[in-house]
Amino acid sequence: MYRHLLRTRFWWIGLTVLALLIGACAPSPAPEGQEAAPPAAEAPAEEAAAAPAEPAPTGRYREAPMLAEMVARGELPPVDERLPEEPLVQEVVEGVGKYGGVLRRGFLGPSDHNNYTRVVYDALVRFSPDGAEVIPHIAKGWDSNEDFTVWTLYLRQGMKWSDGAPFTADDILFWYNDILLNEELSPTPALWMVNQDGSVATVEKVDDYTVRWTFKQPNTAFLLELANKDGADKSIHNLAFAPAHYMKQFHPNYVDREALEAKAQEEGFDTWTEMFAVKVMPHLNPERPSTAAWVPDGSTVSDQVFVLKRNPYYFAVDPQGNQLPYIDEVRFTFFADKEALNLAAVAGELDFQARHINMSNYPVLVENQDKGGYRVLTWPTFGGSDAVLMFNQTYVAKDPAVGELLRNRDFRVALSYAIDREAIRELAFLGLGEPRQPVPAPNHPYYPGDEWAYKYTEYDPDRANQMLDAIGLTERDDEGFRTLPNGERLDLEISVVPAFANWSDVAQIVVENWADVGIRAQVEIRERALHFQLRDTNDLMIEVWNEDTTGFPFSGQPKMDPRSNPGLTFGPLYRKWYETNGTEGMEPPPEVKRLVEIIDEAKLSGRERQIELAQELFRHWVDNLWEIGTVGLTPMIQGVVVVNQDLRNVPETAGNDWPLRTPGNTRPEQYYFER
Amino acid sequence: MDPGVFMARYIAQRLLLLPLLLFIFSIFAFVIIQAPPGDFLTAYIAELSASGSSMDQAQIEALRRLYGLDQPLHIQYLRWVGRILRGDLGFSLDWQRPNAELISERLLLTVLLGLFTFTFTWALAIPIGILSATRQYSFLDYFFTVFNYIGVATPTFMTALVLMWLAFKYLGISVTGLFSAEYVDAPWSWGRVVDLLKHIWLPAVILGMDGTARLARVMRANLLDELHKPYVEMARAKGLSEWRLVLKYPVRLALNPLVSTIGWYLPLLFSGSVIVATVLNLPTIGPMLLRALTNQDMFLAGAIVLIYCALAILGTLISDILLAWLDPRIRMEGS
Repeated sequence: MYRHLLRTRFWWIGLTVLALLIGACAPSPAPEGQEAAPPAAEAPAEEAAAAPAEPAPTGRYREAPMLAEMVARGELPPVDERLPEEPLVQEVVEGVGKYGGVLRRGFLGPSDHNNYTRVVYDALVRFSPDGAEVIPHIAKGWDSNEDFTVWTLYLRQGMKWSDGAPFTADDILFWYNDILLNEELSPTPALWMVNQDGSVATVEKVDDYTVRWTFKQPNTAFLLELANKDGADKSIHNLAFAPAHYMKQFHPNYVDREALEAKAQEEGFDTWTEMFAVKVMPHLNPERPSTAAWVPDGSTVSDQVFVLKRNPYYFAVDPQGNQLPYIDEVRFTFFADKEALNLAAVAGELDFQARHINMSNYPVLVENQDKGGYRVLTWPTFGGSDAVLMFNQTYVAKDPAVGELLRNRDFRVALSYAIDREAIRELAFLGLGEPRQPVPAPNHPYYPGDEWAYKYTEYDPDRANQMLDAIGLTERDDEGFRTLPNGERLDLEISVVPAFANWSDVAQIVVENWADVGIRAQVEIRERALHFQLRDTNDLMIEVWNEDTTGFPFSGQPKMDPRSNPGLTFGPLYRKWYETNGTEGMEPPPEVKRLVEIIDEAKLSGRERQIELAQELFRHWVDNLWEIGTVGLTPMIQGVVVVNQDLRNVPETAGNDWPLRTPGNTRPEQYYFER
Repeated sequence: MDPGVFMARYIAQRLLLLPLLLFIFSIFAFVIIQAPPGDFLTAYIAELSASGSSMDQAQIEALRRLYGLDQPLHIQYLRWVGRILRGDLGFSLDWQRPNAELISERLLLTVLLGLFTFTFTWALAIPIGILSATRQYSFLDYFFTVFNYIGVATPTFMTALVLMWLAFKYLGISVTGLFSAEYVDAPWSWGRVVDLLKHIWLPAVILGMDGTARLARVMRANLLDELHKPYVEMARAKGLSEWRLVLKYPVRLALNPLVSTIGWYLPLLFSGSVIVATVLNLPTIGPMLLRALTNQDMFLAGAIVLIYCALAILGTLISDILLAWLDPRIRMEGS
């Protein structure tokens, strides 16, 4: 039955055997009798506190031995002077740690820059480890007025950049005046800063350590947005502060424009804006001062090895007053090939890695834990579904007969009943996760309830057949498949990009299941850029992707919002309709417009109302089933975490999602090696 | 006409053609690299979304303008060629660094690996070919024949995977890359050279395997053609010792077709292998080209392809010159 699957499984088994053999021959670096048990969560704090080196007994804070030596040589001011008056006190997961060690990670080259972004998670505020709330980081706190139009951010007095220069409100104002409002750098200002009337929100300096944002309408997504302004995607749109004292030399508001253009040409750039966009990112320009726990040590993401060294001015301490980070250095090693990175993980050559770990290697990784000297954690995502089938609601403009079917809710419900989700779970997801619709996880406040999480997920081919008969698909062709109402051949196409998981296997099972109820479909495996292009031109009927935005339906580009770009192939012409204010594209029906109403209301509402609206949104989403969920709550997306046996303070479970910058939200600066 | 003058004119003609050919190649390279749907940004966005990130349309448009991708193809081409004419290989969209810097960083190791491979191939293939031909249908001949067929028939990336595993299992060494972890980003030192030598032999052997097998087969066939010619009988009848005879006359002739392929090594030295180098995680130009092509980083891919074309043209020229120098018959034909 699953011929294609068997074939891929054969390969998979082959690779597994190969990996096992390699793993089996790997020299075991860890001595056999080593105490593998991690210290209990309530590890006696005093005992652990004795561990860090004991320099500068006079001061309030303590520091890493390598920094103490530099202080002794007079190369660095004492730690008490380097830290702000009120440093961030970082809670520790298991206990107070020891200084030292190198955290080895793998990365896939220059376009894997977000690997860096996720490790340092250098933003004004951060998401908490479980992802449920926003917590202080560079900013020590904030408040807002009653209607959420004015937000005031408080910075830390005496906080410094990694070169020792003070970090003040001017660094935020530089971003606002010289990056966001500069039309050359930002032809269109970042969306989160734009008011509903199209004007840009104002940012003012109240004093050196206080900054005020004023919007023209309530903005409850402000903190969520701010928590992601960390230079992600190496995009200047994702900044909310920059080292003014350093960046001014690259900006025509401060230096002679002609000289700047000449400098840009000399360095190989076409324009000063191109040069600025590179110079402003620490991982592209190691000279750029940073506020992160580790700063690049002369290398960049385009090097074979990208090394980060501890920032001597990092503004956080542990509860005992030891300056963080504990770990001296983070080393990213370049792998040209993802599978090579996975093999390195199996061989225990990486200390902490979830990114690029292939979920299908999970059994191999677990098998080799002891030999490789690591343990494997799973951090499933916020819910949703790890393989969904999205039905194009505007395909009718391309093919009326097929398009009408895709738009028919009963047709989609019938196809959902026809899917054997247990088979998908076993064969494509190694038995991990659960069959479910694309809604958040049960522990999430936005969870709409079991009724919707499991609606239409029973495997019931008889019911599917009845429903298909009921909507008039009663005629069959000579191969036994149902024909279109107009008598023509019905042939659905499922477009698949082999991106995260065995989505082609999922699609193959779905095709077999649908054939059992008389619906002919075929899988088209496409290169992703082509798939993306066909999606934009309204040429896809059905696509397989994952629903990973259920934790954040009101910020970023949620896949439930027909306006999202990039989004899935929900309705490319609906999106056009919204983009052009109704002059082009196709007007959405009321039930699609309802999604937009819910999302827009939530963006202006307080937290409690937001939760109500989110639950309503997901009930509406499942009831209409534009997107059929298969299996969810697996660790597919960067959720298989390979952790060195000696690495401590890594939480057993954590919120895992891109907006949280996982593992950034688990605070890697408090990880340490127990050796 | 004097053969020398003929050759000089021939070389001059070829060199004059070079800019024209390069111009044509540059258009082809640019158009073909752009031929797949989308552009660098669609590929980039696809890659971002594959790792959980996404960009909004405003950001995408801003980037498109920043990189000049919003302009028509011919304008982009002219901008690129303009820079090249000014001796500037352009700027990589993907790496955000000048192409010249990226290429030169990897050039030394790529050429070194190429030379190692070349030496390995020729040092092994020629003697094997000679042995096989002179001892036709002997045990040795059959042995090498089987060996060669295996060498030709096995894809090199497969050989790479198998040898990687064997080296790991029996020698306990990780053979990916060209350096151990401690030397990857270290400055050049004696230790680093030794470390390089420890690593470079495996890729050289893998890459050379396929070529050795092919070359040995060709050498054997060429030599067999010559061995039964009357002049060989004649020399033998005159009492020339067998080894001197074979090496001095038929082998020289049999080498001719091989020499004509030497020029092809020039571009190969530059680009190195693509797939094997990717599998083995080598810091050479091949994987960078592959990456530039899949990411549609057309300026970097274009720069590499253009240099590759120039070297291919030069290589052919060198082959011709070598051939003329080696074989008097070709030299004389011209006059």
